[in-house]
Amino acid sequence: MTDTLGPFHIRPPIMTVKVEDSMDIMIVRDTARRAAALLGFTPANRAQLSTAAATLAELVLKTGEAHTIQMNGVINGLKEGLQISSQASFLAGVSAANVLVALRSKLGDLVDEILLAGDETPTVIMVMWLNSGDRIEYHDE
Amino acid sequence: MALEVLLVEDSRTQAAQIRETLESVGLRVRVAYDGPEGIRDAIENPPALIVLDVKLPTMDGFQVCRRLKRNPATQDIPIIMLTEKTGPQATMTGLRAGADDYISKDIFASEHLINTLQELGILE
Repeated sequence: MTDTLGPFHIRPPIMTVKVEDSMDIMIVRDTARRAAALLGFTPANRAQLSTAAATLAELVLKTGEAHTIQMNGVINGLKEGLQISSQASFLAGVSAANVLVALRSKLGDLVDEILLAGDETPTVIMVMWLNSGDRIEYHDE
Repeated sequence: MALEVLLVEDSRTQAAQIRETLESVGLRVRVAYDGPEGIRDAIENPPALIVLDVKLPTMDGFQVCRRLKRNPATQDIPIIMLTEKTGPQATMTGLRAGADDYISKDIFASEHLINTLQELGILE
């Protein structure tokens, strides 16, 4: 295994879930929570990360593709975080800019970064960094 | 004395299941079956923790959470939302309303709930 997937260096934990049907979405949600807990994310951030992972898994599954969701720690300089990624071959040939707009619109509140890597077989990459400030703005409506 | 949890859940079946989980780790549980009852109960007798469903009659869990978080008598009580509404928008609405965690009602819910209770210092 290479030590990068996307622009960041991979570190443990490294967890993968094969997603073949809708029941696997639950496993993805659970695994993301566990990975986030191992890295020291707060319960609220775990909720965000597990929702992001489950939503990505659902999106890819809706295209009829069985796929693997990978969740791993990442390091970028002094920053540590959790990366969630999945290959999305159905996105091959689609404008990366358009894909990113759509993904950020749906998932942008849940994570800090959403990236697309690779051309022939694009990989969707989402990252939340630890200690990047209080990212949940309290709404007293 | 065991810490007390207020569970706000309209389904009696699900309330019984969640109560069982909470009691299994030594917590006392009282149940409110709708939002207004939950708010009254929390203000009159503040619990150590509130476990809150989202789909509730009269007033949904997001509204309940916001009201509790803006009331000085209840604003510091941790709130865990436990729900079937698990999309990105619902998750962020719950967290922005002030919930400390937002947990999916699935087969792992009990385990996640207990982990969060430990994280919040409700359980040792």
